[in-house]
Amino acid sequence: MRLAALTCEVLARSVYLCAARSPHVVDVRLNRRGLHDDPPNLRAILQTELDATGPPYDAVVLAYGLCGGATAGLRAGSIPLVVPRAHDCITLFLGDRARYQAEFVGNPGTYWYVQDYLERTDEGSAFGGVGAVSDAAARATHQEYIEKYGEDNAAYLMEMLGAWRSHYNRAAFVEMSIAPEQAAEAAERRARDDANRRGWRFDRLAGELVLIKGLIDGAWDPADYLVLQPGERLAMSYGEDVIRAEGAPAG
Amino acid sequence: MDDLSALTAAIEVGDRTTAVALARAAVESGVDTREVLGAMTGAMEVVGKRFQCNEIYVPEMLIAARAMKESMAVLEPVLVKAGIRPEHTAVIGTIKGDLHDIGKNLVAMMWKGANIGVVDLGTDVSPEQFVAAAQEHHADIVGVSALLTTTMVGMKDVVVALREADLPDVRVVIGGAPVTREFADQIGADGFATDAGGAVEAVKHALAS
Repeated sequence: MRLAALTCEVLARSVYLCAARSPHVVDVRLNRRGLHDDPPNLRAILQTELDATGPPYDAVVLAYGLCGGATAGLRAGSIPLVVPRAHDCITLFLGDRARYQAEFVGNPGTYWYVQDYLERTDEGSAFGGVGAVSDAAARATHQEYIEKYGEDNAAYLMEMLGAWRSHYNRAAFVEMSIAPEQAAEAAERRARDDANRRGWRFDRLAGELVLIKGLIDGAWDPADYLVLQPGERLAMSYGEDVIRAEGAPAG
Repeated sequence: MDDLSALTAAIEVGDRTTAVALARAAVESGVDTREVLGAMTGAMEVVGKRFQCNEIYVPEMLIAARAMKESMAVLEPVLVKAGIRPEHTAVIGTIKGDLHDIGKNLVAMMWKGANIGVVDLGTDVSPEQFVAAAQEHHADIVGVSALLTTTMVGMKDVVVALREADLPDVRVVIGGAPVTREFADQIGADGFATDAGGAVEAVKHALAS
């Protein structure tokens, strides 16, 4: 098969590795990390890519989870679309959504760290957890608020919008064992620094490539992947299977 | 512009200093308490609608809600003295496992701004805690918030627990970015809102059902 793999740069090393070892011909396309902050925008970006991708590809494989609902509503283009049954990328890093669920239930106050996110953070970022905005971006936002709403309101807004951090108590670094030792150590050190600075517990978890590998290898077990045919779209299932297919209205 | 219109305008733009001063002046000069309250809740209604129309965003809503909260603090003793109580009481919290509370906090502010009594249970709230709080505070509204698709499925357990606790008059309103009407219908919730702007409307709709 010839596959187009659409993914987020947070999964770059994992997807590239699996693509290199796949029995199929795989073209990898990366989107910027952090787009899940605005799910409708991410959905629009992905839909544009899906609509523009057809033969000679046999299928599009989407290395994304639901990502805040961003992928819900995506329509397959002119070729099948394959999506892992995952809420977000952490499932893909851990290799098992039941494992993610257990982590989630056992440690709801976990901030996740992964190699690719850490090494692709913007300049001036002290905080490198998955989904975190950089310090530089936070400073820019603060400045924008001062200009728009004045010092007093800006301070209040930063306090309100940053209050979530007080609810977290654990940093979990998922080690995929892909990056060279030095790079992996540097990433882990940054995650540990974050944890120390915030007084969080630090845990290092071994990642598993199995879900990404299965996606890229074309081993689409229905228990772990949903295959959408042209004319179908992705919907949330609100159950353990996470996502389901439904007919997409024409147009 | 009369003073009450100015109070409304000050809350709408989040000018808390002016809003508090005008609320205090209105109270001290003996303006009808209900009229003052109406001017304030009217402001938050406008804020909610403007948010829904994408005319304003979360920051504007937050600073308006703060101006409302501080003005309300001026009015509250007078309301208590006059025996004017909120018509409805809500308990609100984020669903078990979900620690994201910006949306929940905004909804609580919007509900208070609509003169609904609000008991905030915080984050990571279990179905049992929702039930206990609804019973204790004689709530007629239970608000459940989730940001994550991982946690939102747990909202069903809250609906089930409330029904099993024999609280038939309690209306369950769910909310959060991933929440849809389809999901609300599926779990038997009485209302839903995807953002804080629609939360007051969702409650009104649920109470009328």
